[in-house]
Amino acid sequence: MHSPELLKGTLQTIVLKVLKDHGKMYGYEITQRVKELSDDRILLTEGALYPTLHKLEAEGLLKTEIVNIGKRVRKYYNLTTPGKAEARERVTEFVDFIRTMGNVLQVELS
Amino acid sequence: MKLTEEHIAYIIKDIQYRGVVTDGIQEELIDHICTATENEMLQGARFIDAYHYVLKSFGNTSGLRATQHQTLQSENKTAKIMLKNYLTIALRNLRKYKFYSFINILGLSVGVALCLIIALFVVNELRYDRHHEKADRIYRVKSEIIFGGNHFNMIFTPAPLAAALTEEIPEVEAAVHFRQRGSYLVKRETENIKESNVVWAGKDFFKIFTVPILEGNVDEILNEPNTMAISQRAAKKFFPDESALGQTLILDNTWNFKITGVYDDMPANSHFHFDFILAMEGLDEAKQSFWLSNNFQTYMLLHEGADANVVETKLIQLFARHAESDFAQIFGEDMTLEKFKETGNKVEYALQPLLDIHLKSDLYGEFEPGFSIAYVYMFVAIALFILVIACINFMNLSTARSANRAKEVGIRKVMGSYRSHLVRQFLSESVLLSFFSFMLAVGLAYMLLPLFNNLSGRSLFIPFNNLSFYAILFAGAVITGLLAGTYPSFFLSAFKPVNVLKGQVSLGMKSGFIRSSLVVFQFAISIVLIIGTIAVISQLNYIQNKKIGFNKDQVIMVEDTYALGDQRLAYKNEILSNSIIVNGTFSGYLPVSGTWRGDNPWWADGKDYRQQENLVSLQNWTVDHDYIKTLDMKIIEGRDFSHEFPSDSTAVILNETAVKNFNFEGDPIGKKIATFTDRDFSPDKLETLTVIGVVENFHFESLKENIGSVMLFLSHRPQGNLSIRFQSQDTKAVIDLLETKWKEMAPGQPFTYSFLDDRFGNMYAAETRLGKVFAIFAGFAIIIACLGLFALTAFTAEQRTKEIGIRKVLGASVGSIVVLLSKEFTKLVLISFVLAAPFAWWSVSKWLEDYQYKTELGWTVFLIAGGIAISIALLTMSFQSIKAAIENPVKSLRSE
Repeated sequence: MHSPELLKGTLQTIVLKVLKDHGKMYGYEITQRVKELSDDRILLTEGALYPTLHKLEAEGLLKTEIVNIGKRVRKYYNLTTPGKAEARERVTEFVDFIRTMGNVLQVELS
Repeated sequence: MKLTEEHIAYIIKDIQYRGVVTDGIQEELIDHICTATENEMLQGARFIDAYHYVLKSFGNTSGLRATQHQTLQSENKTAKIMLKNYLTIALRNLRKYKFYSFINILGLSVGVALCLIIALFVVNELRYDRHHEKADRIYRVKSEIIFGGNHFNMIFTPAPLAAALTEEIPEVEAAVHFRQRGSYLVKRETENIKESNVVWAGKDFFKIFTVPILEGNVDEILNEPNTMAISQRAAKKFFPDESALGQTLILDNTWNFKITGVYDDMPANSHFHFDFILAMEGLDEAKQSFWLSNNFQTYMLLHEGADANVVETKLIQLFARHAESDFAQIFGEDMTLEKFKETGNKVEYALQPLLDIHLKSDLYGEFEPGFSIAYVYMFVAIALFILVIACINFMNLSTARSANRAKEVGIRKVMGSYRSHLVRQFLSESVLLSFFSFMLAVGLAYMLLPLFNNLSGRSLFIPFNNLSFYAILFAGAVITGLLAGTYPSFFLSAFKPVNVLKGQVSLGMKSGFIRSSLVVFQFAISIVLIIGTIAVISQLNYIQNKKIGFNKDQVIMVEDTYALGDQRLAYKNEILSNSIIVNGTFSGYLPVSGTWRGDNPWWADGKDYRQQENLVSLQNWTVDHDYIKTLDMKIIEGRDFSHEFPSDSTAVILNETAVKNFNFEGDPIGKKIATFTDRDFSPDKLETLTVIGVVENFHFESLKENIGSVMLFLSHRPQGNLSIRFQSQDTKAVIDLLETKWKEMAPGQPFTYSFLDDRFGNMYAAETRLGKVFAIFAGFAIIIACLGLFALTAFTAEQRTKEIGIRKVLGASVGSIVVLLSKEFTKLVLISFVLAAPFAWWSVSKWLEDYQYKTELGWTVFLIAGGIAISIALLTMSFQSIKAAIENPVKSLRSE
């Protein structure tokens, strides 16, 4: 499992990219999806996920949709148009970052 | 596996119990937990085990709360949302305490409205004459002359000065001189209209001043004699449907003037407003080369970069050069400017910037009365004071109500608010309040402006289509909000939650040192304004009732009698034959300003006129036999003019000051006085008059001036105004009588009249205006201060409800409770009176220094002012305190 320290800076990128690929999702679904994609190596904690979601929403990158399911309500998140652009940008930026890190740390990236 | 309804209900309740309560976050976390629990149960766990497993992954209660907290924080980091939150809470608070919000908004908006009006006024005053493109290079020549017992500070200069300036001083680009000769009758064909904005001016007028020419050629406009330029207003009046250019108008039934130009009306904030500008070329008086008579106003335009001080030095040298021969001619060969000055006399010229004229110049001969920069400062100060009074209301009410909000502050702090959050919260409340007030204030100002325009004689308007106006308003609202909110917000946010929640802080009334000083400050300002008002009013009363040496009541003056031509005396006799008319006199020289004045040096016959000290400069007034009788002046020695003595044609009556200045040996009656008869001052042509009487001193200028020397002598051809003393309450009948006769004898000539007491009153128009303005300001200041006091008493009464209840139960009377509630604030008002009185006394004495004749400011004035302030304050408080005192104690004691 990766250390949460490493994850900190990439959390927003992960959330944006997952939503971009998968369309609307709710909080739990996002954690599960990330868990699945990372082979259980990235576990998003709720304490980190929800603040991030709310922050992205406040910044206008995400929009939400509330669906009633039985006794409880479920809040779906989806990207807004600027959110989509932002997701693309973040991913490019991150790939760039990894390449740089590869050079700095003198390791071959596959 | 799906959760059952009971399970979900259980989870919701449990999550709430654990403190996750925030809207939006709560539902989301519940859904998350439910889904996770379902997934756990899919693997065969029991509900409760699955649930606890999920909870554990969240970090139990503290983990949940941390998630909630972090989510909230990350949300609130966005400024927009934070502001929205502050605004919502601020709005709720304003709505919750309607009464206090109302008082705050009302007081503040009245204060702001006044400030706004004053700001508009001040900006208007400061913009005077700035529409001239070269305004910063235009200067006027002013003169100071001390001669023969007279001291003049005036704007009159010699006729040849303007031409000499352009020719001899290289820094001067152009110069123009003006000559005013009162009003003219103007007609196109038959019907005369009286026009007073008429001036003679040199041809460079349009090159120096920015007055757009609508018709005509700038280079030719005033070049020829008997030509003139007129304003668009005048052109529309005389030539409603055609072009005025090239047309001819007849002035005073005699002179034909051809119109060579039509110019745009001069803007309201200009220090002159001419409708007719006559070409100086046609004025003989302008051609004389005599340097010791001052009748022309001279303005000049300097080259760019020229130093006004240098020009001024050159101007003084220029005058000395030219005036030398004139001095020698009058006072003998050996007289020079230096010697003239050594004997205590003075002729001095100086430059005055055009932009200083409106606010910093109050000289003899101004085209229009200006305004004083001191009053501008005073207005600004008063406006700020009123705003401060309104802000203080806000501060006081906020801090006074702190007890009510102390719990709120405590809870907020316990919940994790930082002090800075609270400060921002309170500030946003005050800024919001100030925004409401500003919006209201613009409306208020809009309604009050016509009234103010009426009072100030200006035509101000609110610049609704000016963007910077809104920007300034916005900035003003923010600044006012911060000003009013800073102290309360720091005061309130400083509470320690432990103390507040334990109920140990009974702040409110007791922590009131600052609050008390603010109340004292408010009332001190109000009291100063009240005393100012009373002082101005009492000075006005003093002026109106002072013995001025003549009787100004029941005298009507028919103006421009020259239009009657030779029928003047017939008209007078015709009028006098009526029983309601007591007497009448022809003279343009009258003891109110705006009538004729003429000044000439005389000396006691036999003394050497070349000795400066023997010359007496005095007003030479030509009158007729009925002058002293009609105006009810008093002869204190000798006799009045009489038809029985034909020799009275060479007689003179002096006033007391003149007698003193002539320094006669022994009885003045029978003494002779002499002067030159013509402009050449030749010693061969002298005129002598014999003193037959002395008239008691009468005021003929404003009471700001000392009474100067005056001589009255008979004119062989009386002219000027016909002043008529009548004895009737029905002034309408008098006017009708005069007008009917006028129409018979002078058809087609305008009949104009005025009353002597009105004209006398007009000399004090500025004072009257000041009195009104002061009264209004004082009124508003005290109203706003009392609003605050009203709310403060209401608050005290509310705070002490229980105490009052217990006191009543124990037998206190209503009276004693009213006293209890009013005592503290009455004390404050008394203190403010003690502080305000000396300051007010000092400033009022300063103002009165301008008057040679002034009212005594006795202690009664202060007593009245103090009385007014205290009684208004008591009245304000009594409403609330009596209400609290007569309340049934059962009500206040039973609750809780």
